[in-house]
Amino acid sequence: MNSRLVIPGELVTEKRMKLGPHVFVEKGKIYSDTLGLVKMERGVVRVVPLQGKYMPKANDVVVGIVVAEEYSFYIIDINSFYYSFLPKEEIKLPLKKGSIVSAKIARVNEINEVSLSNIRVLHGGEIIPIAPTRVPRVIGKNASMLKLLQHGTKCAIIVGMNGWVWAKGREENIRLLKKALQKIERESHLSNLTLKIQKMLSSKEADKV
Amino acid sequence: MRDDILWELQADKVKDYLRRSQRLDGRALTDYRPFTLQLDFSKNAHGSCRVQLGKTDVIVGVKMDVAEPYPDTPDEGSITVGAEFTPLASPVFEPGPPDQNATELARVVDRCIRESKALDFKKLVIEEGSKVWFVFIDIYVANDCGNLFDASSLGALGALLNTKVPKLEDGKVVKGEYAGRLEVSKMPLLTTFAKIENSIVLDPALDEEKAMDARLSIGTTEERLISAMQKGLGGSFKQAEIEQCIDIAFEKSEELRDGLRKALKG
Amino acid sequence: MADEEYRRVDGRKVDELRPIKIIPSVLSRAEGSAYIEWGQNKALAAVFGPREALPQHIQNPTKALVNYVYRMATFSVPDRKSPKPGRREIEISKVSGEALEKAIFVERFPNTTIDIYVHIFDSNAGTRCAALTAASVALADAGIPMRDLVAACAVGRANGKIILDPCKDEEDASDAVDMPLAIMPRTKEVVLLQMDGLISKEDWKKAFEFGLKGCLEVYEIQKRALKHRYEALARTEQKAIKAVDKQLMDAAESLER
Repeated sequence: MNSRLVIPGELVTEKRMKLGPHVFVEKGKIYSDTLGLVKMERGVVRVVPLQGKYMPKANDVVVGIVVAEEYSFYIIDINSFYYSFLPKEEIKLPLKKGSIVSAKIARVNEINEVSLSNIRVLHGGEIIPIAPTRVPRVIGKNASMLKLLQHGTKCAIIVGMNGWVWAKGREENIRLLKKALQKIERESHLSNLTLKIQKMLSSKEADKV
Repeated sequence: MRDDILWELQADKVKDYLRRSQRLDGRALTDYRPFTLQLDFSKNAHGSCRVQLGKTDVIVGVKMDVAEPYPDTPDEGSITVGAEFTPLASPVFEPGPPDQNATELARVVDRCIRESKALDFKKLVIEEGSKVWFVFIDIYVANDCGNLFDASSLGALGALLNTKVPKLEDGKVVKGEYAGRLEVSKMPLLTTFAKIENSIVLDPALDEEKAMDARLSIGTTEERLISAMQKGLGGSFKQAEIEQCIDIAFEKSEELRDGLRKALKG
Repeated sequence: MADEEYRRVDGRKVDELRPIKIIPSVLSRAEGSAYIEWGQNKALAAVFGPREALPQHIQNPTKALVNYVYRMATFSVPDRKSPKPGRREIEISKVSGEALEKAIFVERFPNTTIDIYVHIFDSNAGTRCAALTAASVALADAGIPMRDLVAACAVGRANGKIILDPCKDEEDASDAVDMPLAIMPRTKEVVLLQMDGLISKEDWKKAFEFGLKGCLEVYEIQKRALKHRYEALARTEQKAIKAVDKQLMDAAESLER
C-alpha cells in the first residue's frame, strides 16, 4: 500500500470526507497538520504521523520510569509533555530512581495532565524506546503482533502506548526482539506486516509458548 | 527538572557488558568511534573545523584579534578558549552562560594546546609591550553523545591548523585579507578515558559516561610528550592505570592525527 | 538599466535567491532538527518539546509557549562577536518565535513550551530568515502539528534596484533598504515583517511582491528537503530491511534448535 507523504499545511484532498486525526479543514479543503502519510478508508481521511510525541489518552497503558522521590509521592517520566505523580500509598514496595512501572491512564485533564492507576512494578528487564507513532503497529490488530512477538522471542513484553516497550528475557532473545521492533518501526507504513514478522520469527516458533 | 533517564538506565547494562570486557556498541575497550572532520566550516572565522565523533557534533572557530599583551608577558601573545554547551546539543542543556562543565572543558582544551607550545606566543607579538595577537578559540557543542573533550580538542586543533593570520595595516586588521597561515608546530590532542567499576574504556559514549565513576583526559603530542592531564568526577585511578592510559593515549591519538593530516591534504 | 539585464555584485538577477540547501534530522539528541546553508550562511536548528514549561510560573494554561532562541557564534561574523547574547539576537528571537506561534497549533499543548534553538555558524546577511526557515523544517521534523510551514526571505533595495535576498555588500549600499519577511505559504499570511531604510509606498509594494515570490521559492525547497528525507528513508530502509530479514530468520531458526 503506497500512501502519499504530506507535510504540515499540505493539501490532502478537496473531496468532502469525514475528518480523522491530524487533518483540518479550511475553506472546504482538507489539509494535513503534520508530517505523515495520508490514509483514506471508508470515507474517513486521516494522516498517520511519522514523528511526534505521545499524547496521553484515558485507558492507555503506559510504561514509566521513576525519576525522583518526594515525601509522599514519586515523580514518573512517561515520555510525554509532563511528569506524572504517583502517591506512595498506591504501591506496596518502595521504589527508587530508575524503577520501571506500567500503569493505566485513569484520567487526562484539559491540560493533558494524567492520573495513573493499575500500577505494576516491573522488576528487571529493560526499556526499548520506539517512536510513539509506531506503537499501534507493534501491538497489531487484536494484539496479533504483540502475541507474535511474545511467543516468537519468548520475552515478557509490555508495550507502553507512550513508545516505551518494557521487555525481559534472555540476552539473545532481547536482541531478536530489538531487531523485530526496528523492522516494525521502519515498515510500519506497509501492509501485511504481521505476516512478514511471522515469517521472520517462523510460524512454528509462534505456536510454542 | 529535565532528565536523561533512558540513558541513565543504560548505565547498568554498560556495567554488565564491561564485566565481560564488552562494550554495548561492540567496540574494543580502546577503540575510538568513527569520526569525520570538516575544515574551513565557517568562512567568517579565521580558522574553523566541524568534528563528528560518533554522533557527537562539535563546531570550533578561531578568530585572531589585536590586543594589548598581559603586563607580565609584554613579549607574548596568547590564546583564549571558550566553550558553549548549546541547548541544541541535549535536552538537559539550558541556554545561558557557560556552566562548570563547559568551563572545565574549555580550560582543559586550553592547557592541552598552550602547554604543548604548539603556538609560539612570542611570534604572536606585533609591537612588543603594546600590540600582540590574541587567538580566540570558541567551541560550540551541537550534539552531545559523549566525550566532548576529545571532540573539542580535535576541533580546536583542526581550526588552528586551518587558521589564516589577518593582514595588518597601521596595526589594524584588514578584513578579508590574510598575511599567511598561523604557525602551529605540534599536534596536541586530548585522549579521554572513563573508569567504570574496574574497567577503563577510551572515548566514552554517552551511555558509558552515565555509568562512569571517573574520567581521565590526557593531552599528548606526536613526540610522545604529555601536555595536560585532567581527572574528573568522584571516582579514582591507580598509578598503574594512569601509566597504562598514557601509553594508550600516545598510540590512539595518532589515529586522530592521521585523520587531521588527511583532512588537511584533501 | 532594465531589471532583466541588471546583474548584481555577485552576478545574480534582481529576483534571484542565493543557493539554499536544507537537511532535516541532523542532530540525534533533539526531537527535531535541520541544517541550512543559504549562500554563505550556515545554521543548525533544534526543537525540543512540547515539554513542561519551567519555571512553572511562566506556564500558560491555554497554550504552549514558543521559546525561540537565535544565537550567533563568536566567529560567524567579520569581527569577533561577544559570546553574550546582544540586543539584536534577543529581538530576532522574539519576533521569530512569534512568527512560528501563528503556524503551530499551540492551543493543543497547554502549560508546555516548545523550545526552538538556532545557532548561526557563518553569515553574510539574511541569517534571521535562514534561521526561521530551518526552524520551521525542524518543527515539522519533530512532528509538531502546524497549520503550515513558515518560509522566510529578505528583500531590499541597493543602488536604486529592488532586490531579492540582499547579500552583505548590498545591505551596506547608501540607499539600502532591508525587509525580512516570513509567510505561511498556503494563505500568504505575513507572520514576520521588519524593515529598515527609507522607501516610497510604490517601491515597498514592488519589494513586497518580490519577497512573496522569494518566500514561495524557499517553501518549495523546504518541502523538497522534508520529502526527500522521509521518502529516501522509506526507500533505503526497504533495502536495509532485506538484510535484517535474513538475520532475523537465522535468529528465529537458531531459537527453534
